[in-house]
Amino acid sequence: MTNNRLVIKICGSSGQGINSVGELTAKAIKKLGYKLFGYREYPSLIRGGFASYQIDFSDNTLRSSSKKSDVLISLGRIATHKYLKDLNSSGILIHSLKGMKFEQDEEKFIKENRIKVIFLDAFDMADKLGGKTIIANIILFGLMWKVFAFPIEVVDETVREVFAGNPKYIELDLKAFEAGYNFDLSGVEQIKVPFKKNEKWKNSMIITGNAAVALGSISAGVRAYYSYPMTPSSSILSYHADFYKDTGVLVKQAEDEITAIQMAIGSMFMGTRALVATSGGGFDLMTETISLSGMTETPLVCVIGQRPGPATGLPTWTADGDLNLAIYAGHGEFPRCVIAASDLESVYTLTQRAFDIAEKYQIPVLMLTDKQIAEALFNIDSFPKDSEVKRYLVEGDELKRLISSDRYKFVNNGISSRWLPGSSEATFVANGDEHMEDGSVNEEAVNAKQMMEKRMKKLETLYQELPSPMLYGEETADIVFVGWGSAKAAILDAMDQLKKAKSSQSISYLHFDYIYPLKTEEIMDLSEKARKVVLVENNYSGQLGNLIVQKTGYRFNELLLKYDGRPFFVEDILNYLKKL
Amino acid sequence: MNCSKCIQMFDYYSDNIFTWCTNCGNYGIFSAVKRALVAEEIDPKDALLCFDIGCNGNGSDKISGYRFHGLHGRVLPFAAGASLANRKIKVIAFGGDGGTLSEGINHLVHSVRSNYDFTFILHNNENYGLTTGQASLTTRKGKPMNAAPDGVVVEPMNVMEFILGLKPSFAARAFSGDVKHMTEIIRAGIKHRGFSFIEILQNCTTYNAETPHEWYQERVYDISKLKGYNKADLESAKEVSKDLEENIATGVLYEDEDSVDFYSRLANRKGTQTELVDEVKNYEIGNFLSRFN
Repeated sequence: MTNNRLVIKICGSSGQGINSVGELTAKAIKKLGYKLFGYREYPSLIRGGFASYQIDFSDNTLRSSSKKSDVLISLGRIATHKYLKDLNSSGILIHSLKGMKFEQDEEKFIKENRIKVIFLDAFDMADKLGGKTIIANIILFGLMWKVFAFPIEVVDETVREVFAGNPKYIELDLKAFEAGYNFDLSGVEQIKVPFKKNEKWKNSMIITGNAAVALGSISAGVRAYYSYPMTPSSSILSYHADFYKDTGVLVKQAEDEITAIQMAIGSMFMGTRALVATSGGGFDLMTETISLSGMTETPLVCVIGQRPGPATGLPTWTADGDLNLAIYAGHGEFPRCVIAASDLESVYTLTQRAFDIAEKYQIPVLMLTDKQIAEALFNIDSFPKDSEVKRYLVEGDELKRLISSDRYKFVNNGISSRWLPGSSEATFVANGDEHMEDGSVNEEAVNAKQMMEKRMKKLETLYQELPSPMLYGEETADIVFVGWGSAKAAILDAMDQLKKAKSSQSISYLHFDYIYPLKTEEIMDLSEKARKVVLVENNYSGQLGNLIVQKTGYRFNELLLKYDGRPFFVEDILNYLKKL
Repeated sequence: MNCSKCIQMFDYYSDNIFTWCTNCGNYGIFSAVKRALVAEEIDPKDALLCFDIGCNGNGSDKISGYRFHGLHGRVLPFAAGASLANRKIKVIAFGGDGGTLSEGINHLVHSVRSNYDFTFILHNNENYGLTTGQASLTTRKGKPMNAAPDGVVVEPMNVMEFILGLKPSFAARAFSGDVKHMTEIIRAGIKHRGFSFIEILQNCTTYNAETPHEWYQERVYDISKLKGYNKADLESAKEVSKDLEENIATGVLYEDEDSVDFYSRLANRKGTQTELVDEVKNYEIGNFLSRFN
């Protein structure tokens, strides 16, 4: 064990039930009273390749994944070769691969790191139990449970919950668990879990970021969800569809991304709240509509679940490489807001905030998530407090006093009155062409200049009201990290580690949830007080850093950038600190 | 006056001056649209007129009602999203043969198939007028056009044949020179429940000398005058829609009177009295959390 956590990684190829046994493991460990974080790696295919499901668990402090695991459970040869060397020293490999041959360097790794290799012919056992090979995963799970000397009581309950949809397999799964659990473990030292259990985690939730997007949008009064499937955002569509009987939300899988965002702007113009989510490639197709939203001052919210590009890139892996895309997408100049989620709480809250900002300022709001946030399993005991739904529309008698030219009236803060079709006799045209105050086309120089200034004024108004970046720790720390997106989790975990280890190094972290328009006061403050400021981003060029440079001229002392499709693991931060 | 709301043509007037060519087919179309809205007693405040980019879209500020002038080729999904959000507002979308049959033809296919409940008026003048006369999918083969000096090499598409192949719930054709007939067709489209596709054969005085007003006038006939014509029969509609040279059928060529629109097919909206626009408020999510425990 390192880093105040224990790590179980279950791997094999796609189609071997890695996900279901991963979910089972997560739920069962949660029921024991530990805090956990789940992380999936899988290829962009349906059968074969390698896939893994990793559960890190600990006491209360845990937000990210470790690169290293303590127990590796493997159902596949390719996956075994791939993940073996990520075992911690004294780690345990449990596999079901008859005649598994390790390479020379792997043998050396096993020996030098005192890796315990346990073979259990789970496929043969599964056959004898009268089941299909698919239950081999549960047999290995049973053995793993024994390795940790975990109590078996919670397993029965968990199996019944996880496989509730397939009741005929429950008994078979329980038998499979028992068969694995009864395996003779003599000669293997059981792992003692040093963490304190906490009652609060027993009844906590295990939930993905995408589920929180769906739930956050439901709570914020989103009544239509339009989308075209694209990893890692596809499951938002599934969640909305799963809930739709109870929510009444109109859920539509559109014929393409352009359709999805056009339907959304149509619904938003009419006056309901509609959400769209996609990934970078799909968002590329939507950008003309983002510009239209800017010009017609129609509120619009789009979630961009990032994955590594360019082009198809690494479809099932993670990156925070689309910040530039979000900030600069769309032709012409218009105000917008770009926000970025970093964990479950923020993705839930920001989904709600996105609609508030979009409607208040009548602008497009783009919310970035990434594959790590979208699909990781977060363990929380409750959701953050909901933001109140406010519409910022003209209401009541005011509607009777409106005239058409109030809609795009030149007002000091740039935010003209907004009202909905059907609500007032004062009709107007929302025009993609440059227009006058009532929306009628106008190509005069004076009007064009004034209207551009009115729209852009909203960006200044928004800037004044946006929350500042959040500083975790002291600005006088030895090292101040600056970042956004899912990197936050690894940095905060590393900070906890150092504190626990009573390290002499002090670190702190400045995190941006609200990225554009960019708040610069805090960063300028840091540049004066901090000894060393390090930019951390899950992309190649340091996109937030470049934005800061562009706006302030400030240059970071060092950059810690990662662009291999993997999220920041806690070791990435700790190892960086060690090298200093 | 024998009307309940007394909506008049005047209510749909705009102070802005038209910018179309003299004798453009759009004048007739706009006149018919206003007449149809008035005849159906639709208050301008309860109408949303959605415009594509093109000559038709330049009319977006020459008429009253709520209006949205969006992107080239994208008027259909915009209108779909708008109509789903509030079914009390009458939604009519306008697009040309350029934007609709090239840039946005996927939307046309899916709008017909999805049967969203709004009316779509296709201004088919057989060219891209606003960008000064390039060929569209309905331009005649061999005709020299802007960017095709030796003549268009692609066979034109018969739009109605294409639409009827998609099993629409309402498909009609009209001619921009006959305001009275267009008005009746648009009224029928407005009343139809589902996606009402109306192709208007439109003269273009500047870029289409081949099929001017008179050319159409000599060839069009009203299908409702054809003895025994059954507009509920899709095959008959396919048959009469073929001829675009000698005898051109206009009128409601096909209508499924039992049409069920997209929204009405949604299981989770059945029996709901409110519109999506009425339902925006904070919702409790507690009921959905048990699956995550």
